[in-house]
Amino acid sequence: MLASFDSHLFWAALSSGPYWRGALLALELTAASLAAAIIIGFFVALGNFSQRRWVRAVAWTYNWLFRATPTLLQLFIIWYALPQLWPAFSGSWFTPFMAAWIALSLNEGAYMSEIIRAGLLSVDPGQELAGRALGMKRRQILRRVVVPQAVRIAIPPTGNEFITLLKLTSLAYIISLHEILTSAQELAVVKFQYPEPLLAALLYYLAIVSVLMILQSRLERRFTWTSGRGRRRPVQAPAVPAVAHDAR
Amino acid sequence: MSVLRGHDLVKYYGDLEVLRGVTFEVEPGQVKVIVGPSGSGKSTLLRLLATLEAPDRGTVTLEDLPPGPGEVGMVFQRFNLFNNMSALDNVMCGLVEVRRLPKAEAREQAMAFLGRVGLADHATKFPDELSGGQQQRVAIARALVMKPKAMLFDEPTSALDVELVREVLDVMEALAREGMTMVVVSHELRFANHVATSVLMMDEGRIIEEAAPGEFFSSPREERTQRFLALVE
Repeated sequence: MLASFDSHLFWAALSSGPYWRGALLALELTAASLAAAIIIGFFVALGNFSQRRWVRAVAWTYNWLFRATPTLLQLFIIWYALPQLWPAFSGSWFTPFMAAWIALSLNEGAYMSEIIRAGLLSVDPGQELAGRALGMKRRQILRRVVVPQAVRIAIPPTGNEFITLLKLTSLAYIISLHEILTSAQELAVVKFQYPEPLLAALLYYLAIVSVLMILQSRLERRFTWTSGRGRRRPVQAPAVPAVAHDAR
Repeated sequence: MSVLRGHDLVKYYGDLEVLRGVTFEVEPGQVKVIVGPSGSGKSTLLRLLATLEAPDRGTVTLEDLPPGPGEVGMVFQRFNLFNNMSALDNVMCGLVEVRRLPKAEAREQAMAFLGRVGLADHATKFPDELSGGQQQRVAIARALVMKPKAMLFDEPTSALDVELVREVLDVMEALAREGMTMVVVSHELRFANHVATSVLMMDEGRIIEEAAPGEFFSSPREERTQRFLALVE
């Protein structure tokens, strides 16, 4: 059955420089995009609650624009169309990595804003009222009370977003960013042999996601408030809900 | 000489006039208990006195000035503790964030107030790990630590299991004996009888009757009050 499986080629692929570098690049792009998306998403989420109608309109339009259009199209627009529209984007600084980072951050920001919004809404408003009764300012209540609890709610879906983003980085292969899939594709074409390079790529994704899942469960524990935390009593973190993700 | 005073308070929620020109005042060391059917405006009155909401008309003053941050303490029906903080951090929070005290000093004061409500042993516990009665006592300590000039209680025992009501009322009675100025919305008639300087009846956004507890419960003047008391007892 597996007569044509070349384990030597498989191990060579798995340990090759381009794979490592590709994986590192994918990881960097994912982390940088998610970080930017969390910042964007936080302000867009707050924008949703704004008293001012135009702020809410901007937040809504942003979410609508980036969720209603394919990520690949957004990537193409930023990489190919933007430099033609705006010469500042044709400089040498505008690398495929930059283009992918901008596209994925903007795209993911829309999804993160929904997650953060749900997190903020999950904190019972009575706590805000109590904070105001103590004389705390809105910003103090947000920072000390609401955000920490919203973070707890947002961790599991954010973990899912990390995974989604990691997989989305493979799109950047189309704008010639050397991530894992590019390495696999190149190796396969050169050797005219597909199973080994692709299986090796698969293992890279699995490894990255596995590490992420461990980090996530640690983070969840850190944001669970029982006195057991200090005494390192194991705390049962709620299971990550299986979210059916919309295709992007 | 009143400490806390609400003058001619009117409040609308949409088209609904929840308060229809209420004037209310409490003098130093007095305990006023407010009773009345739901929707009569009791909680709204407390929220205005605590400056959690602004009146549509009228003014709230504390010693003739608008109340400053934390000067009017408020205790809620559902405790509203900060769930991400231990009991101690809940009590410290206002001192650190609002009064800008150094942490060590805030901690010391907070511990003293947790002790006063009998919870010094539970300082490191989180709200999830406390009973309702304990949570409410932490909430009382959290308000008291700010050294308020008046304390407002919005149905402080009505979310509690019966056997936990006593411990909260005990803390409140002790507070009243120490001379704290208090406004309490509650249907704990025994508490009102024991502790209140006067009892007020609210109905449809107005205070319709105010009397010393003995008189209020034995011979209420208003027919509406008589009907209400018959239902509560």
